[in-house]
Amino acid sequence: MDPMESIKATFFQECDELLGDMEQSLLALEAGEGDSDTINAVFRAVHSVKGGAGAFGFEKLVGFAHVFETTLDAMRSGTLDVTPDGLKVLLRASDVLNDLVQNAKGQGAVDESRVATLKEELEAMVGGGEADDAPEEDWGFKPITLEIGAAAPTSEWTLRFKLTAKMFANGHEAHLLLNELARLGPNEVCLDASELPDFETIDPEGAYFSWTVKLPAETAEADIRDVFDFVGDESIISLAREGGELEAPAPPASAEIIDVQALIRQAKAATPDASELKLAAEGAKEAATGNKDSGVERAAQAGATIRVDLDRVDNLINLVGELVINQAMLAQSVEDSGITRSPNVVNRLQEFEHLTREIQDCVMAIRAQPVKSVFQRMPRLVREIAASTGKQVRLVTDGEATEVDKTVIERISDPITHMLRNAVDHGLESTEERIAAGKPAEGVVRLAAFHRSGRIVIEVSDDGKGINRKRVKEIAVNKGLIAPEVDLSDDEVDNLIFLPGFSTATVVSNISGRGVGMDVVKRSIQALGGRIAISSIPGKGSTFTMSLPLTLAVLDGMVVMGGDQTFVAPLTAIVETLKPKQGDIRNLGPKGAVIAVRGGYVPLIDVGVALGWRTHAIDPTQGVILLVESEIGGRAALLVDAIQGQRQVVIKSLEANYQKVDAVAAATILGDGRVALILDIDEIIASKLRDVQPARMLEAS
Amino acid sequence: MPAASALKVLVVDDQMTMRALVRSSLQQMGVSDIADAADGELGLQSLLTRQVNLVISDFNMPKLDGLGLLRAIRSHAPIAKTAFIMLTGRADKDLVVRAAQFGVNNYISKPFTVAGLREKIEEVFGALT
Repeated sequence: MDPMESIKATFFQECDELLGDMEQSLLALEAGEGDSDTINAVFRAVHSVKGGAGAFGFEKLVGFAHVFETTLDAMRSGTLDVTPDGLKVLLRASDVLNDLVQNAKGQGAVDESRVATLKEELEAMVGGGEADDAPEEDWGFKPITLEIGAAAPTSEWTLRFKLTAKMFANGHEAHLLLNELARLGPNEVCLDASELPDFETIDPEGAYFSWTVKLPAETAEADIRDVFDFVGDESIISLAREGGELEAPAPPASAEIIDVQALIRQAKAATPDASELKLAAEGAKEAATGNKDSGVERAAQAGATIRVDLDRVDNLINLVGELVINQAMLAQSVEDSGITRSPNVVNRLQEFEHLTREIQDCVMAIRAQPVKSVFQRMPRLVREIAASTGKQVRLVTDGEATEVDKTVIERISDPITHMLRNAVDHGLESTEERIAAGKPAEGVVRLAAFHRSGRIVIEVSDDGKGINRKRVKEIAVNKGLIAPEVDLSDDEVDNLIFLPGFSTATVVSNISGRGVGMDVVKRSIQALGGRIAISSIPGKGSTFTMSLPLTLAVLDGMVVMGGDQTFVAPLTAIVETLKPKQGDIRNLGPKGAVIAVRGGYVPLIDVGVALGWRTHAIDPTQGVILLVESEIGGRAALLVDAIQGQRQVVIKSLEANYQKVDAVAAATILGDGRVALILDIDEIIASKLRDVQPARMLEAS
Repeated sequence: MPAASALKVLVVDDQMTMRALVRSSLQQMGVSDIADAADGELGLQSLLTRQVNLVISDFNMPKLDGLGLLRAIRSHAPIAKTAFIMLTGRADKDLVVRAAQFGVNNYISKPFTVAGLREKIEEVFGALT
């Protein structure tokens, strides 16, 4: 890549980070947190965006950032107050700045009128254009030239020497040596008496002094050394020319520890500055509250991270995936060969398995990312929905540091977006309703993430009116989703909103924005191997909880046999397994059958037939039933020949290596080296149910 | 006439883009010994442990800003003579005046060109070869 192009890529990456942090800072200020440093951090972010944008010639971006920066500068210097209204303008300005950055990146259009409006608003805050815009020539600045290498080709000598007690005992005298040196040319002598002890402890015959002598540049090194001929070379501590052609100050000896903080304090004390008075007051405040992140910590942070190409990490993850498969194959081969009776082999093999798993976990951790990157896009979304619905909403986020694999991160953004849209649009009441109900006018939507039993849980809750169960039931009855006389628990009523066909909006759309169907949300979460649940308290609000696997690279599956083939069924989809009795099976014409499970009927699907490995279903009583759940069409009973066991498998994309195959989600390689297909439970059930009336099936279940 | 390859430069800026831009410009001039630091404190730490004869530093940085770094350098004898060029935003007259007060050798406004940066360095060290 062209170096400028790669720097540009760095710039955009950095911009995204800066803009994200900036929004967090602004939101913190809006929530009444943060201090003068927070507004300064916002200023710095805008300033940095402007600086980089200038280097790449993004004039529009520079222009807007400049106006933005001017306003922020006034705020951080205290000439402009930070008001709630002002912060709202800043937040919108940060959205526009973001748009401009995306536009410079070549993504998305910019609403010019919005840019112009905000520019005016920002300018209005500081009261018109800037005052200090004198041309640089008038600043009266003169560069300070360093006079190096001008006078002589080489620089003067610096000699350090010290006489030991033994040398003095042998009759050598420092003043004689200094006299000799003086004869070589004009010199400068400096005595170092720092080693001289207290009078009480002084050894009268000891030697404590050393001398530093500067000698003319033209002196020959040999002439200097000659002076010490009789004393001995060991008396010379150092003899060197001061610097080279360019003078580089020598760093201090490694033994000498210099406290950077002390140095900074010392510098401030030595050269006071008017602006320090204010800073000193702030410094005292900071000291009182305890220095949050020390320089040491920061240094550690800076040194503790590296940026690595994603390709390399992906490659590593692939290879470790191969290693896991290989380990399983080796274990199988060893078992087949019959040498597992040797305890040594068994122990080593187990150790190997543990190590492989550990390596896999570590490698997956490399690709893990905090959900922050997704969460920080949400405040803007909520602001926009709030504006379009005329509601007052505050978004509270929690657990942004929770980490999850990159493959998951990329795909949770949409479900979260839909859940937040629903929370603001349907969950929260209008401002008037809230006030009438004795609630604060501003509704609160909470977005939280945390880890629970090896999965990531994301919760979206609101303090709105909760689910109107009567209305939900009415709609469900009207749409024929449930029979009017069915008696449902509160929980069951709440879950009706996830049924397909409950909502009129069934298409995922970012434009409509007015509540996409919850069935769509549920489907997209299930596509990720996740589940979603709802709990609601009338008048208090609703909470949607989705739990997702931490990675899409490995999967916990049930290995099953069907039609001479081995398949893997995702464990998350399996509700239970059972051996059917003849009496439980009801045939429905030549095409299908249902099975009675806990008082309801679910369609029976022979996996071998569904995937086309055989034409006739086996006798259900000879096989095993996997009761699987897929909310698209309720439950189904998958008929397989036998269950082999439960196993964690590495997911290999079929689409990337071959093509999309109906009813198959992906593939994996088993311990014996054979390829096994991972079943797409949703699709198997959906295709089966296309023949059957879905509403009736649901009713039956 | 100092050789560009003899320059030992420390670039201090909290923005990675800016560090990369300065580094790339310096490399185009033939400077090869380039270190960088993300803020004034880290810059100062770096100065105390390695040989540097030119610091090119941003002004507005967290922890220790450019002026603070300049003052710390000037007041610590072993490194006090290190040349210092301040990177500033456009129209930052006040800052330049204050930096001059603390003995800045030169300043350069962002955005800059390779030729512009070279000129500013040459104003301090004389023509580079």
